[in-house]
Amino acid sequence: MNTAPEYAELHCLSNFSFQRGASTALELFERAAKLGYRALAISDECSLAGIVRALEASRETGVALIVGSEIHLDDGLKLVLLAPNFAAYQSLCALITRGRREAKKGGYALRRADVAAHAHGLLALWIPGETPAPDDAEWIKRHFPQRAWLAVELHCGADDAARLRQLLDFAARHELPAVAAGDVHMHVRRRRALQDMLTAIRHHTTLRAGSGHLFANGERHLRRREALAELYPRELLAETLRIAARCTFDLKRDLKYAYPGEIVPRGHTPTTWLRDLVEQGIRWRWPEGEGAAARAQIEMELALIAKLGYESYFLTVSDIVNFARGKGILCQGRGSAANSAVCFCLGITAVDPQRSKLVFGRFLSEERGEPPDIDVDFEHERREEVIQYIYAKYGRDRAALAATVISYRTRSALRDVARALGFSADQVAQLSRSISVHDDGETMAAHLAEAGFDPAAPMLRRALVLARELHGFPRHLSQHVGGFVICDAPLHTLVPVENAAMAGRTIIQWDKDDLDTMGLLKVDCLALGMLTCIRKCLDLLRAHRGRDLTMATIPKEDAATYAMIQRADTVGVFQIESRAQMAMLPRLRPKEFYDLVIEVAIVRPGPIQGDMVHPYLRRRQGKEAVSYPSPEIRGVLERTLGVPLFQEQVMQIAVVAAGFTPGEADELRRSMAAWKRRGGLEHLRERLLGGMASRGYPHDFAERIFEQMKGFGDYGFPESHATSFAKIAYDSSWLKCHEPAAFACALLNSQPMGFYSASQIVQDLRRHGVRVLPVDVRCSGWDSSLESFDTPRAAEAVRAQPALRLGLREVRGFGEDAARRIETVRRQAAFTSIVDLCARAQLDRRAQGLLAQADALRGLAGHRHRARWAIAGVEANLPLFGRDSPAEARVVLPPPGIDASVLADYASTGLTLGPHPVALVRRQLRAQRCRRSAELREITGTRPVRAAGLVIGRQRPQTASGLTFVTLEDEDGQINVIVRLALAERQRRAFLESRLLLVDGLLESVEGVQHLIAENLRDLSSLLAGLAAHSRDFR
Amino acid sequence: MLWAALLLPRLGLDALARSVPDADARMQQLALVSRDQACPLIVDAMPRVREAGVRRGQTLAAAQALFPALKTAVRDPAQECRLRELLAGWAYGYSSQVSLREDDAILIEVGGSFSLFGPWPRLERRWREELNALGITHRLAVAPTALGALALARAQDGALVGNAATLRQALDALPIGHARLDPLVVEALRGMGLSRLREVYALPRAGLIRRFGAALAEHLDRLRGAAPDPLPLYRPPDRFHARMEFDHEIESSETLRFPLHRLVGDLCAFLTSRDGGVQQLAIVLEHDPLQFRQRAPTRLAIGLQSPQRDARTIFELCLLRLQASPVPAPVRALGVQAENLPPFVPLARDLFDEARGAQLDWPQLADRLHNRLGADAVYALAVADDPRPEHAWRKRSIAPAAAPVRRPGPRPGWLLRRPLPLRGEPKRILAGPERIEAGWWDGGDLRRDYYVIETQQGQRAWAFRGIGGEAPWLLHGWFA
Repeated sequence: MNTAPEYAELHCLSNFSFQRGASTALELFERAAKLGYRALAISDECSLAGIVRALEASRETGVALIVGSEIHLDDGLKLVLLAPNFAAYQSLCALITRGRREAKKGGYALRRADVAAHAHGLLALWIPGETPAPDDAEWIKRHFPQRAWLAVELHCGADDAARLRQLLDFAARHELPAVAAGDVHMHVRRRRALQDMLTAIRHHTTLRAGSGHLFANGERHLRRREALAELYPRELLAETLRIAARCTFDLKRDLKYAYPGEIVPRGHTPTTWLRDLVEQGIRWRWPEGEGAAARAQIEMELALIAKLGYESYFLTVSDIVNFARGKGILCQGRGSAANSAVCFCLGITAVDPQRSKLVFGRFLSEERGEPPDIDVDFEHERREEVIQYIYAKYGRDRAALAATVISYRTRSALRDVARALGFSADQVAQLSRSISVHDDGETMAAHLAEAGFDPAAPMLRRALVLARELHGFPRHLSQHVGGFVICDAPLHTLVPVENAAMAGRTIIQWDKDDLDTMGLLKVDCLALGMLTCIRKCLDLLRAHRGRDLTMATIPKEDAATYAMIQRADTVGVFQIESRAQMAMLPRLRPKEFYDLVIEVAIVRPGPIQGDMVHPYLRRRQGKEAVSYPSPEIRGVLERTLGVPLFQEQVMQIAVVAAGFTPGEADELRRSMAAWKRRGGLEHLRERLLGGMASRGYPHDFAERIFEQMKGFGDYGFPESHATSFAKIAYDSSWLKCHEPAAFACALLNSQPMGFYSASQIVQDLRRHGVRVLPVDVRCSGWDSSLESFDTPRAAEAVRAQPALRLGLREVRGFGEDAARRIETVRRQAAFTSIVDLCARAQLDRRAQGLLAQADALRGLAGHRHRARWAIAGVEANLPLFGRDSPAEARVVLPPPGIDASVLADYASTGLTLGPHPVALVRRQLRAQRCRRSAELREITGTRPVRAAGLVIGRQRPQTASGLTFVTLEDEDGQINVIVRLALAERQRRAFLESRLLLVDGLLESVEGVQHLIAENLRDLSSLLAGLAAHSRDFR
Repeated sequence: MLWAALLLPRLGLDALARSVPDADARMQQLALVSRDQACPLIVDAMPRVREAGVRRGQTLAAAQALFPALKTAVRDPAQECRLRELLAGWAYGYSSQVSLREDDAILIEVGGSFSLFGPWPRLERRWREELNALGITHRLAVAPTALGALALARAQDGALVGNAATLRQALDALPIGHARLDPLVVEALRGMGLSRLREVYALPRAGLIRRFGAALAEHLDRLRGAAPDPLPLYRPPDRFHARMEFDHEIESSETLRFPLHRLVGDLCAFLTSRDGGVQQLAIVLEHDPLQFRQRAPTRLAIGLQSPQRDARTIFELCLLRLQASPVPAPVRALGVQAENLPPFVPLARDLFDEARGAQLDWPQLADRLHNRLGADAVYALAVADDPRPEHAWRKRSIAPAAAPVRRPGPRPGWLLRRPLPLRGEPKRILAGPERIEAGWWDGGDLRRDYYVIETQQGQRAWAFRGIGGEAPWLLHGWFA
């Protein structure tokens, strides 16, 4: 039994005082528990961003949490404010909000007047300077009557005894009670180096140059009570307990969040209003009756929603979606609750729950006690309208974005640490380059040694140790991609609000995990480019093709569409267009909607690392028997042939096979997501294996399930999301299959997005036999458009695809304003000459040059060289009258050669409608025995080959350790090359620099998928340079 | 007129290499980068680096990807400028018409030099030898116009074109990029499908002027010699060199007193004539090259705190400097040299101020001490921010410094160079412990508890013990 006097620490920073606190809340609380502290205040500087983590740590360790904040006033006072009750907590939130909103992102600005206005109920610890001023004492006593203390913080300074005397005298003279406090910055003294490091980073200096900013010693840790007893008089320690006892505020218990009320019209309760809307939706979705199954599901869902009190949440989302639909903004919900029948009726999703095999179990878990999860994707170009709607409807004080905590990663940690240790900029760059994201201690040392560093050098060892400690520490708050928190009361009565980097955006100080813990409502309004594309495509169909479709009325289960998907003819469609996805399609051969759900989910790091892909494919192809160890497992896994592919399935197995409650299963899901960072799966593993053993499952089956769960790790993909994505994938595929011109046009007009460049989209379209017309100022607008051409028979015109006219947006660097002006004035009268064009559309020199370069003036001036000469002759200040320049002698300019034209096309628009550049050098390539990609496709099995092409993509996926996927393109199509790390490093220059790359390697073809495994690389870019009209060398 | 263009394609690297005492291995991995801190670009690189694919204009990041062991130096235009000045001085030895108009070249009129130095091939050989000895990468060409010579030098090192007609022909065949046109104009011309100068000369002049302005036409004329090209000419900088030879060897500094006095007198007269002062000068002692090992002249540099031209002051300083360092070998000649003469700023003096006799003002005293005791011996003390007492002060030059951030506790007036074991236990502890834990970052970590103590003898001392346990007392300083 420890006889030292009891103590509560009232002044302690966690690492959410960015670049100050050197310990996590959990470390602090664990240490406080070990030392037998009565309570621990977390008082991060003008922030409550770390308070939810502190709350969790407090619950885990049993040490009481006191909520507080340290505040430095611009007019010179340093206070620690503590919240004894909910009212005081609200004051604190309001005060922090005030300070943060006044300053730009990351900072705050507060003055005494602000504190005076928000002092209500708060306890104040005054952290005095060297010589405390009597006036300050009076000010504090006035604004915190009976709630102010003078904090005595002793850290083995020059003369602690004298300091103690001085402060006690002062306190007595001004009738302020004195109290002991620790100004804690770390949980143990050992963190001193990290704390110094953070200080140097905060001051953007090195430890050596900035040593004046460092604390002189490591006393600012949680000290043993015996040590405190030697430093402080008993009375000062006892006072901490009196203060702690006054702080009865419990964040989780006292914080009551209320959904916004105004979404319910007068005379309705949320329950009746939701019922009304759902019934309306039923009549809209099922005009000829919903059927018994749908009705039963809806009733069950409504009952559950009512029981958990989530009506307002569904109504809020429904309101946002309604707004979007009213504005013609395409949207699609996803997430566990989004694919419910209720959401289908409310129009939040277009996925008919009857069509997906989604098991309703995960829709809402009673036990989780968390708000349901609905993400809504909006067209990326118009999401801002939705955001502005939310701000306008609820007001800025009631709606804000959630925060995202940006943390130190391997590389950023090492970079900052090395800089603070005084490494030169060169060395810092070299260091951070030579390590990889996945490095742990040992592999990092090996990589550094490869890069020519000596990992044993003391300086570097220090850097590595500290970088490892710093890893995972929060750096700053950023805004969540689209998670809105909406609240009935002003938000700053719940949580501080601060400015985001983006003008006009505000964020709350909690991230999505904090919101989960605190039970706050979040609606994710995300941006999705493909929705923009689909909406534009549907618009084009209405305008040019006489087809009026919506996402809900696009024909379902179309055989031609699935045939196209099975051929992996999916350039440009949603999700199933990546190389890995395309490689999977011919093997999986999707033939119905649910196959697409699986396709979307299976090509993910989770199933790949959990080794679920091959068993699934083997079973699907009938090469392996499908068996289930029990009927329960069969129920869960039947739709995926006995292989768990979705997060939901893993949780269900835990429930049916190991006896987990749904709440425990959810804990399992969270632990799976976090185990790589924190570990701690062991007790769950034992529970899982034990539970499965007691229900008679073979041990190896249980082990395999557990390994598969671990493989999911961070990357488990929920079926509910896959279902929504599959819907968008199907719709985009249908459009590409039946309306390739319109689809490609919409795709071009929604760039940048997705995986493919404009050039690849255009080539793909031409391979499908659609005419593509070049950019031309006489016809092109900003966007690409469709041009019908005359056909003798009307019937043919319907079947034939229109031509695609490229828009001016394809001209690199050309501004939208100028393009729109061209559109406008051209409608009045066609252009008669270059001068006429430049005058009426008010084109500046730069725009003129870009048009000439893009060959868009061909119709007015002739070839590129002539166009350039012509625009150069347009006077800077165009005459008001007489739009033609003086007659000039005709000059003779050489026309550009075809090769020069192709290169100029590439330079200007990134695509050419002329011959492919590789076709121009094919003769030379043939002489070097390079094969065309079309020839490669004829090859089966594994063969050594040589091929060459333009390098159009280099990708290094996280899952493929050290492999780079290089995509080459020639006149026939693409070649997929895999470059191993060793080769990339050996032939660094060819690997990094080549525009035209020759590859010797092994061609592997498996089930219709070809990869060229590179063994040797050669840079042939000089062949292309040889095409250029001007040789720059003269020797 | 016949102009030689001396093109300096590696000016930055050459200038850098000259400033490095001996080109070590690091130099081979070096690239010169632009000063832009956000996105430094490669300006030039050593051959080994270039072989790896590093090019001018590349971003630093791209270059590092190609050549991971890359070392970088930031381009220093001032350094390049000094090298060009030096080369201009060198060229001035061959021609009185030297121009520094171009950033990357030196233009030298050579038509008048042939009579003195022989025909071009001989002169060219001599130049190349001398330039190679100086470590200057270069290209050379001669033409009737300066611009023509520059264009030819870029196209063909060693080209010689003697008359205007040949020049026209040679220029016609050159790429337009060699003609030193505005890069934007070059780009525009290329966009019109033009690649050789011939094609540009063939365009209608009016159309050309309308599109690119009269400046282009003018430039094209100058290139061919159809218009005059007035060049700003180089003038050597002001400097002072004076020297006295002796017909016997002088072995004592005392004997040098008289000639030194005269040379300093000359210097001050010169300073007065240009109404300036001197801040740096040197005494040069030349020795007999045949008899003694000490062959190179001895150079004694003298720096002053502020520009001076008072003969007595300067002479005294020179004499002090001379007396401070023994004459290493018999002297055959004495010189006084001053370069880069700064403008003179006379001190404001009271009109009725009498000669201040023995009184010296601080800068003058500091100069004297400096020259008498050596530069390292005279310095000021400053407080440093490091928490460690051993690192809490530093030497600094006499110029004022920034205020420190830290305000440490009481520190003794006399800090021992090295802590010593304290004899006996302290009689009394007056203050402390002051705990200091710092320095881990440079391997000099220390963890100590400092106390102000009274010793058994009653002196006030600063002493410490290691943290924790009964570590021995160490004495670190005395309070007055």
